[in-house]
Amino acid sequence: MSELRRDPIAGRWVIVTTDDPNKPGDYDHEEPHNWRPGACPFCFGNESSTPPEIVAIRDNHTGPNTPGWQVRVVPNKFPALQIEGDLERRPLGMYDMTSGIGAHEIVIESPYHHKDLSDLLDSEVTNIVHMYCQRTLDLERDKRFKYIMIFKNYGPGAGASLEHPHTQIIALPMVPKSVKEEIQGAKNYFEYRERCIFCDILRQESEDKERIVLENKNFMAFCPFVSRFPFEIWIMPKKHTGLFCQTPYEQIPDLAVLLKGIIAKVKKVFGSPAYNFIIHTSPINSDAHSMDSYHWHLEFMPKLTRVAGFEWGTGFYLVPTPPELAAKFLREA
Amino acid sequence: MPELRRDPIVGRWVIIATERARRPDQFIQAPSEQTAEKPCPFCEGMESHTPQEIYAVRSKGSAPNGPGWDVRVIPSMSPFLRIEGDLDRRGKGIYDLMNGVGAHEIVVETNSHVANMADLAEEQIAKIIGCYISRIQDLERDERFKYVLVFKNYGVSAGGSRVKHSRSQLIATPVNPKRVKEELVGARNYFDAHERCIFCDLIRQEIEMKSRVIVEIDGFIAIVPFAARFPFEIWILPKKHASDFVHLTDAQKGALSKIIKTVLQKLKIGLNDPPYNYIIHTAPFRRQKTGYWRTISEDYHWHMEITPRLTRVAGFEWGTGFYICPVTPEAAAKYLQEVAT
Repeated sequence: MSELRRDPIAGRWVIVTTDDPNKPGDYDHEEPHNWRPGACPFCFGNESSTPPEIVAIRDNHTGPNTPGWQVRVVPNKFPALQIEGDLERRPLGMYDMTSGIGAHEIVIESPYHHKDLSDLLDSEVTNIVHMYCQRTLDLERDKRFKYIMIFKNYGPGAGASLEHPHTQIIALPMVPKSVKEEIQGAKNYFEYRERCIFCDILRQESEDKERIVLENKNFMAFCPFVSRFPFEIWIMPKKHTGLFCQTPYEQIPDLAVLLKGIIAKVKKVFGSPAYNFIIHTSPINSDAHSMDSYHWHLEFMPKLTRVAGFEWGTGFYLVPTPPELAAKFLREA
Repeated sequence: MPELRRDPIVGRWVIIATERARRPDQFIQAPSEQTAEKPCPFCEGMESHTPQEIYAVRSKGSAPNGPGWDVRVIPSMSPFLRIEGDLDRRGKGIYDLMNGVGAHEIVVETNSHVANMADLAEEQIAKIIGCYISRIQDLERDERFKYVLVFKNYGVSAGGSRVKHSRSQLIATPVNPKRVKEELVGARNYFDAHERCIFCDLIRQEIEMKSRVIVEIDGFIAIVPFAARFPFEIWILPKKHASDFVHLTDAQKGALSKIIKTVLQKLKIGLNDPPYNYIIHTAPFRRQKTGYWRTISEDYHWHMEITPRLTRVAGFEWGTGFYICPVTPEAAAKYLQEVAT
C-alpha cells in the first residue's frame, strides 16, 4: 500500500511508495555530460566573455572584469527578461499579456570550474550566500519588481547549460503562481490559528526527528513530509523570518554550512546527481503583508526521476522513497 | 523584448522568449540510439507475461489472455496506487494523509511492436479511444474514485519505459487532482462572469486570429495555446462544447483519431520523433449535481494536451510555476502547419 500525503501549505497531494520503496541504488539518474566545447566564460581570464560585472568580491588592487575575484555577479548574456522599459500590461482579445521586464543575473560561485558548493571552504560558501542577500537587497530597490527568485540548476539533467557552478537570480514584475499558492495557504493557516505554518512544521519536525537530515543553532535541514521528489530537502531558519534578505548577518555562516552539508550528503549517496535548489521568500514592494504568516526557506531537489504525463496532468507527484527513509540514508551518509 | 503571457484558464504566467528565442528547426531531435530489445511482453502471443487482462477489444472467438486482440488493458505491473482497501483519511500532527487507493491500468495500443502512436492506423486509434471510454465508465462505478486521468509517456525523457511498444495509462484517483481543480475553478469563474464557456471563447478567438491554429478536422481543432508552457505544446479540443470525453459519438471518435494521428505525425516528421507526453483533461465524476458541480457541464470543456519534451524544466520553473518558452507559439504553429503528413 502506498500513502497519499497532502501538503499543508499548497494543498497538493503526493503519492508516497511505502511498500518496497526505492533505495538509492534503484535510481537510474546518470546522464551523459555533453557540455558545449570551448573556453568557459566563468573561469579566470575569460571575464571579457560575459557582460560587464555588476559586483564581485575581489582581491585588493584588482580591477572589475579582470581575474582576482572570489564571487562574481554578471547579467545573464541571454536573459529571460529584460531590465529596460516599463511594465506595459495589455489585452489581446480575451488574453492578457505584459512586456517581459525583469532582471536576470548570474552569481559565479567561485573561479574553480570543477568545484561545487560542497567542495568549497565554509567561508567561501558564506561569501556566496552573502552575495545572494546583497543582490536581493539591491534589486528590491527597483519598484517595478515584485518578486526575487534565487535558484540553481546543477548538471544538464537539472537544466544547467554551463558546467561551471553558478546560481541565478531573477527579479519578476509579478508574484509567481506557485509562490502565491504557498503564501495564500500560509495566510489561511495564520488566520485560523494565528501561528505561522512553517514554524509549526519546524516544531513537529523537531519532535518527530525522523525526517531531519542536519541542523545547527539557526537552521534545520529536513526531508519534508510531503516531498514532491525523492530525497527532496528543505532548509528553514528556526526563527520566524519572512524575507530571505532579513537573515541576520551573523546567521549566514550557519546557513552556508547546512547548504554545503546537504549537497555533500547527497553526493555521498548518489555520486554527483543533477540538482536544483530554489529560495522561496516573501514578495517585495507589495501591500500583500505576508511577513507574519510566510517563512522563507530553501528547497533542494536532486533530479533522480523524470516528471511524466501523470504529474503534468494532475499536479500529483509520485515519490518512490518515503521522506523518512530518504532522511535516514542522508543522515547516515 | 520578451513577452509575458497569462493562461486565461488557470492564471499561470509564461515567459515567451524573444531575445533568446530559438528557431523551430533548432528543436529537431538527434536520431536516438537503437537499443537491442528483449522479447516484448506487450506483443501478441506474450499475454502470459503480463497480469491478467481487465478489458480487451478482441476478434470473435478469441479467449481472454490469449492472442486475437487489437487493444488490451492490463493492470500496471508497478502500480502507484492499489485497488484494494479503504481510503482511511487521517491526520498526523499538522499533516493529512490517506491510503494510496486507486487504479492504475496500462492500455496496450497495438498487438504488434510499434513504438509511436503516430504510426498506428486511424481505425486503431479510434479503438484505443473507445477503450479509454469503456475503462473510464467502468471506473466511475467505483464510488471511491473522483477522477481518471488518461496519459501517455512516449520516449525515455518523457518518463516512458525503454520497452518500445506503444501504450498509454489510466490512473483513477480518490481526490480531484490540483491541476484539474485549477482549471475547473478558472472555467467556472469565467462562466459566472460571462455565462459562456471559456474554452469555447478561446476556440472562437483562435479561429479568428488563425496564427496559432495547426489544423482543423471534422469538428476538432489543434492549436498551440497562447500561453504555451513548452515549445510546440499542442491542445486538441472539440469545437462544439462538451464537458465529458466519455460522451463522444462514434463519428467523433473517428474524427478525433484523425486529428490525433495528423498532429502526432507532424511532430514525428517535423521534429524527428521527439519524446512527448499527452494527457486528456475531462470533467470529474459527478457524484452530486448541486453546488460546486451545478454548472460543470456548461462551464468545462474537455481537451487533450500534447507536450513534446524538448527542453528541461529547471529550478526557476519549479520555484515559480512560471515557464520559459523558448519559441513563440505562433512560430511553432506555423512550423507545424507546414509539415506535410
